Amino acid sequence: MNTVQVVLSGAMLGGLYALMAAGVSVTWGVLRVINLAHFGLILLGAYLTYQLVTIWRVNPLVTLVVTVPALFVLGALLQWAYDRLNIVEFNSLLVSFGLLIVMIQVAQNIWTADHRELPRDINPFDTGSLSLGPIVLPYDRLVCLGLAVLLLGGGHLALQRTFVGRGMRAFAEDRTVAASFGIDHRRLSVLLGGAAGASAGIAGMAFMLGNLIQPSHAYEWFGIVFAVVILGGLGNLLGTLFAGISVGALSGLVGVLWSHAYVPIAVFAAIIVALVLRPQGVFVRRRAV
Amino acid sequence: MLEVRGVQARYGDAQALWGVDLDVAAGEMVCIVGPNGAGKTTLVKTIAGLHAAAAGSVRMDGVELTAVPGHKVCDYGVATVPEGRRVFGHMTVRDNLLLGAYRRAARRVYRETEEEVYRLFPRLRERQGQLAGSLSGGEQQMLAIGRALMARPRLLLLDEPSLGLAPVIVDEVFDALAAVTRTGMGVLVVEQDVQRALEACGRGYLLIEGRIVTAGTTEALRSTDEVRQRVLGM
Ligand SMILES: Nc1ncnc2c1ncn2[C@@H]1O[C@H](COP(=O)(O)OP(=O)(O)OP(=O)(O)O)[C@@H](O)[C@H]1O
Ligand SMILES: [Mg+2]
Repeated sequence: MNTVQVVLSGAMLGGLYALMAAGVSVTWGVLRVINLAHFGLILLGAYLTYQLVTIWRVNPLVTLVVTVPALFVLGALLQWAYDRLNIVEFNSLLVSFGLLIVMIQVAQNIWTADHRELPRDINPFDTGSLSLGPIVLPYDRLVCLGLAVLLLGGGHLALQRTFVGRGMRAFAEDRTVAASFGIDHRRLSVLLGGAAGASAGIAGMAFMLGNLIQPSHAYEWFGIVFAVVILGGLGNLLGTLFAGISVGALSGLVGVLWSHAYVPIAVFAAIIVALVLRPQGVFVRRRAV
Repeated sequence: MLEVRGVQARYGDAQALWGVDLDVAAGEMVCIVGPNGAGKTTLVKTIAGLHAAAAGSVRMDGVELTAVPGHKVCDYGVATVPEGRRVFGHMTVRDNLLLGAYRRAARRVYRETEEEVYRLFPRLRERQGQLAGSLSGGEQQMLAIGRALMARPRLLLLDEPSLGLAPVIVDEVFDALAAVTRTGMGVLVVEQDVQRALEACGRGYLLIEGRIVTAGTTEALRSTDEVRQRVLGM
């Protein structure tokens, strides 16, 4: 029973990985920008949540009213600037890494390098859990999974079913032809950058529900988030959701059967094997023939 | 409707077009023929706003298009079927078509246009849910044309639509082009298959080394020495 518990709990935590990965995946997949500064936006989302909850003493979900629009604007500005300066792929990796370092430094100056956490008496998700027979589902992780399903599922539908979503997929495949049908890369960059920023705000809030934050966390997220992005397939949000959940479940399983120290090795070994078998991404639907 | 005057185009220092004049009226199909490297694709891209003109003017119903950004040219009624088809291979046939109707004015009436496209190319209806990358070459060409028609253009530009296709499919494609021309659309088609182009079009232009060398009715073109020698190889 303990194993089932740990796997489920890991899978729910995987929702958080998926939330963090969503923005990286779409800006990389559609705009060809590998935006490491996205981790800075998540960090900012987390600290803003902490700050607002501490001041207003409200449910952390309420702070999304402020953090989501604020990070939408920041994310949009960032992609607008990348687009203006013609920064893509390899360049974007360098430039956005520089930005990330600055963002981490700024966070350190404002909030210091010490751990911060949501005040326990106000965070309703901190200790409670849902019991299903012998299985216990902690509220904070349930919220992570719920938000991930909503956000990535909704994003997937938007990409598949709306004119703008189709425009984004077309742009990802062939910019010139997309432009000849009226797709404006500037508007697209701003829109996608904003959406990615907003998702970083949500991911930052979700992280705070069950964790302590310190500025250097931004670096620690790299490995697992990139693993989820690659496994899910660039720009494929449904794939990213499943990849997040799987990586979370696998981490839980290795942790309980083996040792937490082996989690990173096991996860990356699994990813290498998976990508050797399916180089286009594990959760990418095969091309229909 | 379309008036091209003195258009020049460059790639860096290399000049590809040296002052091209050309007209297309509503409801007529016009062809551009010429040897490889003559600048046919460059001319199409320049009209469509995908390559900046170095000099000269491109007007649609009097509106100067050289000053309009590339992604806005479609709003003035120009749609392109690019060289090599360039359908979105990872998207379904239907998504390719709906993408064609991206611009606001086309989006409002996309259902009607989609029906018209399916009537023109019934095979596309059958393959709606299939990924465009898995279509045959002929079907991809039909899709590229259908996608352009979804934008509800007044002028349709086609760059070598018959390239690599079986003769029956080419017939089907040209029949469809004749049908849209009858609805009042202007069609400008670049063709390697000169015989076919001269049969299908009322007028044509011979482009050689970036210059229009001969222009006129297809009968006149057919009997021109230049066309016989340089393009038909007779
Ligand atoms: N992207 C480019 N960069 C540099 N030169 C180019 C480029 N595209 C075309 N050219 C040059 O411009 C000239 C015209 O090319 P263009 O593609 O317009 O010819 P074309 O008539 O379409 O030829 P084809 O029949 O082979 O398609 C050629 O000399 C070509 O080498
Ligand atoms: Mg060409």
